Amino acid sequence: MARRTKIHVGLEIGTSKTCIVVGEVKPDSAVKILGIGVTKSAGVRKGGISDFVQARACLKDALAKAEDASDVEIGSVYLSVTGAHMQGVNNRGTFRLPDNQPNILPEHLTEVCNIARDVHYPQDHVCLHTIIRKYLVDGLEQSASPIGLFAKTVEADFHVVHGIGNRIQNSIKLVRECPMEVDDIVFAPIATAQMALDREQRLRGALLIDIGGGTTDYVLYLDGAIAASGCIPVGGDHVTNDIHLVTGLPFSKAEKLKILEGNASSDPALSVGYAKLTDESGFADVEVKRAILNEVIRQRLEETLKLVHERLPKGAVENIGAGVFLTGGTSLMNGFSELAFDVFGRDIYRPENSSNPDSDHPSYRDPRYATAIGLIRYAQILETENTKPPGCLGKLFRLFWPFGR
Amino acid sequence: MISYSRDSRDSHDSHDFIPASSVKIIGLGGAGANMLERIALDSMEGAELLALNTDIRTLASCLAKDKIQLGVNLTKGLGTGGDPELGQQAMLEAENAVRAALVGQRIVFLCAGLGGGTGSGAAPIVARIAREEGAFVVVFATMPFFFEGRRRREQAETSLNQLTVLSNALVTFDNNRMGELVLAKQGIHEAFGAADRMISESIKAVIRLVIRPGLINVGLDDLMSALRTTRSRCLFGSGIADGKDRASKALRNALSSPLLDQGALLKEAQTVLVHLCGGESLTLFEIELLMGSLQKHVPETAHVLFGAAIDPAMGENLSITLISALPEDSLSVGGSALTNQIPEPPVKTESEEPAILVIEPAFQEIERNTEAPISIETIIPEQPPEEVSSAADGSENHPDTLAETIVRSGPNPEIGIQPTALFQQREQDELSQSQPETPKKEDRPFAEFSTIQPSLDNIPELDLPENSSHSTFISGDQLKNRAPDKPLWGKSGPPSKVESEDSELSEKNITPPSPPARKAPATQLKLDPKFPSPQSELPFDNAPKGRFEGENPNVFDGEDLDLPPFLRKKKS
Repeated sequence: MARRTKIHVGLEIGTSKTCIVVGEVKPDSAVKILGIGVTKSAGVRKGGISDFVQARACLKDALAKAEDASDVEIGSVYLSVTGAHMQGVNNRGTFRLPDNQPNILPEHLTEVCNIARDVHYPQDHVCLHTIIRKYLVDGLEQSASPIGLFAKTVEADFHVVHGIGNRIQNSIKLVRECPMEVDDIVFAPIATAQMALDREQRLRGALLIDIGGGTTDYVLYLDGAIAASGCIPVGGDHVTNDIHLVTGLPFSKAEKLKILEGNASSDPALSVGYAKLTDESGFADVEVKRAILNEVIRQRLEETLKLVHERLPKGAVENIGAGVFLTGGTSLMNGFSELAFDVFGRDIYRPENSSNPDSDHPSYRDPRYATAIGLIRYAQILETENTKPPGCLGKLFRLFWPFGR
Repeated sequence: MISYSRDSRDSHDSHDFIPASSVKIIGLGGAGANMLERIALDSMEGAELLALNTDIRTLASCLAKDKIQLGVNLTKGLGTGGDPELGQQAMLEAENAVRAALVGQRIVFLCAGLGGGTGSGAAPIVARIAREEGAFVVVFATMPFFFEGRRRREQAETSLNQLTVLSNALVTFDNNRMGELVLAKQGIHEAFGAADRMISESIKAVIRLVIRPGLINVGLDDLMSALRTTRSRCLFGSGIADGKDRASKALRNALSSPLLDQGALLKEAQTVLVHLCGGESLTLFEIELLMGSLQKHVPETAHVLFGAAIDPAMGENLSITLISALPEDSLSVGGSALTNQIPEPPVKTESEEPAILVIEPAFQEIERNTEAPISIETIIPEQPPEEVSSAADGSENHPDTLAETIVRSGPNPEIGIQPTALFQQREQDELSQSQPETPKKEDRPFAEFSTIQPSLDNIPELDLPENSSHSTFISGDQLKNRAPDKPLWGKSGPPSKVESEDSELSEKNITPPSPPARKAPATQLKLDPKFPSPQSELPFDNAPKGRFEGENPNVFDGEDLDLPPFLRKKKS
């Protein structure tokens, strides 16, 4: 346990917004959000930086806002990355114990982990995460560390996330130029899951889908461990673009129409008549058949969800016990949970549409900040793992130490 | 091309050029056999093929005209099981036979996949023998995949170190870089095929340059001086273009070779060899234009060795080949080590970034001929080494016969599966199942084959009908692959018919054997980078993409995700 208050900063450079969340981790491991800095992103396409200068300007703006709101000088951040190049793969490493060695020693475990981590990925890729899923001792699952057990073979299942090194480097460069240091890089959905899924949901099996502006990130937890993760380069931008292409409306109007009038469910009752936008003077400005509007939206989102579905391991969806958790801006689309249910056939959980988006009190549960807040949670977990338990002397010392624990 | 070469031989007898019979391409080991196959499929003009292997099954199915089994007593027709020591000993056992086969050769290309037993163990010895016989030795070596393990890697490096010293020029290609040759979506056979093609391509370029006498001749001496840099990396680019702007287009294509890094690497070159080849319409103005724009890419002080040749078979095409070498230390990315034989301690620098010679994705796209019968019963003549010289003579006198032989000996089980062959080489056991004949061969003495061989050579009628039909299939397929190049079709006559038939008939092709002359122009086409690489990335249709206009297509499962599903689905 972290024994003193620590401040972590999460940074998400998303396609639609750049978001910095400053969080304070209390000694009792509660997280308090000190401040949030959000700007609309520019120069980011499908999760990747396409215009470095613009993206940097946005980041600086968000940084200023976050420092303002939290009254903290931000020196380093946890950075989330995403993009179509990111891939999560599962790998199993097997180690056969030496003949004269009946039980598993720590070095055997290190060896098997090294074997399991060694996934063959393209040469320009770098490995971002290697997450242990479970150990197997002679083919039997062993969730805790198997050190000391008698065994012939020990196996380790790892989930390895890798992506194109240069793109990730560019994100880091962007942050460094601001200038801030990068504490760690986290694949976006993994960060989001720290926030959106609790331990029990992960144990029962949960699929998290984060549909943002430019990308759809997903992560699947089964039996408490990551089973799949990845990114599909389709997001809310595509929906707007589709409306623009089909109806010929300009982007701004298409976007407005999508948010105010769009519905992703295939309910025919909602597809009657015309969707209208009014201009400032109250006159009808734009008229689009609801049937077309809803169909365009539904087909896009349905395809996206199906792509996610296809990329999950076989039979995984049936094992999802807790349900499908939707987050990200596009998940606020009307009728989206009905659509998701059609595709996955599991319980669908969707964040509440926060009534006041400009509220000064950022909510924990706000899906728009889920990734950035998740980064803080991730940082906290990392911290906990890295803190060594105090030795004998330390314990004795702390018995008499009057302040805190 | 063959008809042309016959002309050239007649008309240029007085010139000092290297007769075809003194160029030998050796495929060593399983990987080498695969490269050889590709070369044979491209019906390389002006070179003899020699396959060396310990594994009799692979050897029996090889297309090469000449074959020598290594380690007859040592490995008894089996492979070396990845042991270079064994490969070395097997090679030493067959040393005399190989030496006999290499007598009098001017240029020897040695293709080997390093890392295995035969390739790593025998390659240095073959190179040494060839050098001792006075040949100019160019080694093309592939390095093993990372996943093949450190041991194989080390074996490969050891062998490479020896080859660095023993060969005149060494071009390595790292299998790990194979991914750059093809799109991620393409099958593994295409990746291997592309690698083989690349090697075949570079061999051909060198041969063409050395063998074919030109208006302004460049020869082996020029090639050697272009490559005369200690511990160097080969820069190689080749491009073909036609049409109005063909000079600059061809140059652009040549410079787009990854080995040249868009011409940036030429900036430091000391000596650059430029070879132009065009049809009869090649004008001096074009040459001037081309050389003028090339000047921008090479330093002013560079020694430019210029050669030009007229090849009627080129039609409206203009091809340019650039060859140069850079010292390895001048490259940030260590690449193919092309090393002149210099007495230098064999300190192998880590070749992480191996040679990538010409890569033309466009033509990979075209090359989709992968499905073909795997088990075809054929009698593949085993040729004893003593046969070599006589065969060589014969071919010199009757180029037609030589070509015929290449085609005829072509039909064999490996042809159809060639693109995957490299892969299969690793699973030779499986391969063996597709060749019911081979065990028999093992028992037969060589003498028996030598009696069969001449008859096959001289009396094509002896060929089984099945054989000939398959040989047609292959050539037809070859042609089909290159079909897009229209101008040359005109030259090559009837093959358009073959093409159409071929597409229908696929396996059971009964078209009469196409004369080898027809295949030759196809070889030329192979170079053809006229279809630039972006071809494969063209959007599925030209629908507007709104804000994603102009971006890289976002293709998943064959659908461009940037287009509205609403529009996509409506269409289908």
